[in-house]
Amino acid sequence: MNEKKTSSLNPPSKEELPSTLTNFQRKEYRKIDFLLIAAGFLLITPILSVHRVTDFMIFCIFAMSFDLLYGYMGRLSFGHMLFLGTGAYSCGLFIKYVSGNPLIAILVGIAVAGLLGILLGLIIVRTTGACFALINLAFNHIGFFLVLSPLREITRGEDGFGVSASKLGFLNFSSRPIMFGSVLLCLLLVFYLLKRLTSSPFGIMIRSIKEDETRVRFLGYNTFLYKWITFVLAGSLAGLAGTLSALNYNYVNPNSMDVHSNVGVVFACLIGGAGNLYGALVGGVVYMVISNFLPIYIHRWEMFLGFSLLIITFRFRKGICGYLLGLWEHGAKKRLIERSAEQGVAKI
Amino acid sequence: MIYTIVYGFTIGAILYFISIGLSLTFGTMRVINFAHTLTYTIGVYALITLIALLKGYFALVAGLAILLVIPISYVIERFVIRRLYGESLDYTFIATFAISLIGVDAIKWIWGVNPYPMNDPIGKYLVFSGLSVPIYRIVIVLIAILLFFGLNLFFKKTIVGKIVVASLEDKEGVRCLGINVDKYFSIVFVLGSALAALGGVLYAPISSIHPYMGLSILLLSFAVVIVGGMGNLNGTFFSAFALGMVMAVTARYWSQGAETMVFIVMAIVLIFKPIDI
Repeated sequence: MNEKKTSSLNPPSKEELPSTLTNFQRKEYRKIDFLLIAAGFLLITPILSVHRVTDFMIFCIFAMSFDLLYGYMGRLSFGHMLFLGTGAYSCGLFIKYVSGNPLIAILVGIAVAGLLGILLGLIIVRTTGACFALINLAFNHIGFFLVLSPLREITRGEDGFGVSASKLGFLNFSSRPIMFGSVLLCLLLVFYLLKRLTSSPFGIMIRSIKEDETRVRFLGYNTFLYKWITFVLAGSLAGLAGTLSALNYNYVNPNSMDVHSNVGVVFACLIGGAGNLYGALVGGVVYMVISNFLPIYIHRWEMFLGFSLLIITFRFRKGICGYLLGLWEHGAKKRLIERSAEQGVAKI
Repeated sequence: MIYTIVYGFTIGAILYFISIGLSLTFGTMRVINFAHTLTYTIGVYALITLIALLKGYFALVAGLAILLVIPISYVIERFVIRRLYGESLDYTFIATFAISLIGVDAIKWIWGVNPYPMNDPIGKYLVFSGLSVPIYRIVIVLIAILLFFGLNLFFKKTIVGKIVVASLEDKEGVRCLGINVDKYFSIVFVLGSALAALGGVLYAPISSIHPYMGLSILLLSFAVVIVGGMGNLNGTFFSAFALGMVMAVTARYWSQGAETMVFIVMAIVLIFKPIDI
């Protein structure tokens, strides 16, 4: 929190950065993080099912890529599904028409989504606020429409098409446990990458852009470049989530690019706590549980989603993670006060 | 060719009705109103419910449907939008989106998901040297032009309009004069919603009616507002008709690409004239 404030007011010069970075590293990289995440997902596997948890983890990757854009850079996008769909479609089409190698297909999916991010980013990144959100939405709409009708010959329109990746040694993506393992690996990899990225000077820069872009530009930084790179990264990670979902379902259809599904990832980020990777993970799981199980009990679940979004915006902005973190900080402060009272120090 | 022009003007007129509300709410309150889709759709569904009761009186039913939207939009303004003044745009966007989510689900609950068919209420054609043009479309264009001059008069001559125009320029300045700006904002909001409902009611007979009909038209009118300039009333008028024309001409040669073309125009405008909102 402190680092964030000072960086927004006064971004450290390039010589100073390495020392702050090591502080960050010491604080934020812990192997236990990865163990906790892996253990958490493995623990919920027996309660739900392997297939479902794989799905949850893919959504969590998507939510983290969205969090990079919304939570860290402060740009709300309502068209992030475009990149998920692009990844899914390019992976599926590659397997269908070129080769069945799943690893190359995943790379192709990420590359195509990244390329789309590079092209669209040139236009989209110039805007901020609601304009950014709606332009993303507009492009998502165009993508959805392109898949549905002009490219019907290739994408099979509404019906979608099957994706059957060939076996690659022990990497047989049609077996559930292997799919689970590789998605978990991808999730941890993405988590590590984003953790690394968001605590690097680059991450400080994008958080400063969130706080006050004009000031950062005033200090002589090319904010456009930083925003563009972040946008492309978020797009490619969403593309990764798309390729994984295509391999997981063995099937691609326009639902993977549906404009209306965007609300899901926004909800996930907000309920978990935006600007925090744990928030994205918790929010992703909570949203997936809600969307998987609530419709069984409540028929009007979209309405439920709407009301909870309203409650979040008015009362619960920090999300679950932010709330817990706040409680913990509050407790730490209290303990500190008690300790200083014991020692008779009138500090704080 | 004449048919294309008439089609373009009709679409332009409808886009004008809907985007004027968006432009006004953004210009005055700094709120991107996603709930606009909701008032639009509610207007249409009120129309199809009432028209089953009162067959033949389209104008009367349309008026009633618009009147019905006014209290609903007031409730939205009073309980949600008013709490969001001065908040960051993201939260206003999410909150209004949540409202439209609730509203669309309520519509699905009450009326069902299936699309409703609806006929042209006038049903006569103006035969014009071998070409037949539906009179209904001409009426829509005439209403739009009347509305444009009416709104111009409203904003230039009446005191309410003058206050709204002044607060488009400088909200704090108006507040410093001792005027309760919030009251006028709710008038603007209700006016915008009623105009969206008018657009929906007029557009319903020539389009398909389903719960999600608002979304695509909202995106189009957002493109109109970007091209015309946020809070710029005359700009909105001209860009609505220009983009309507773009849609019609594209639809003539490539019928599926009409909406895409509008967004391409919007992207080009944004490249040359980036806006900071």
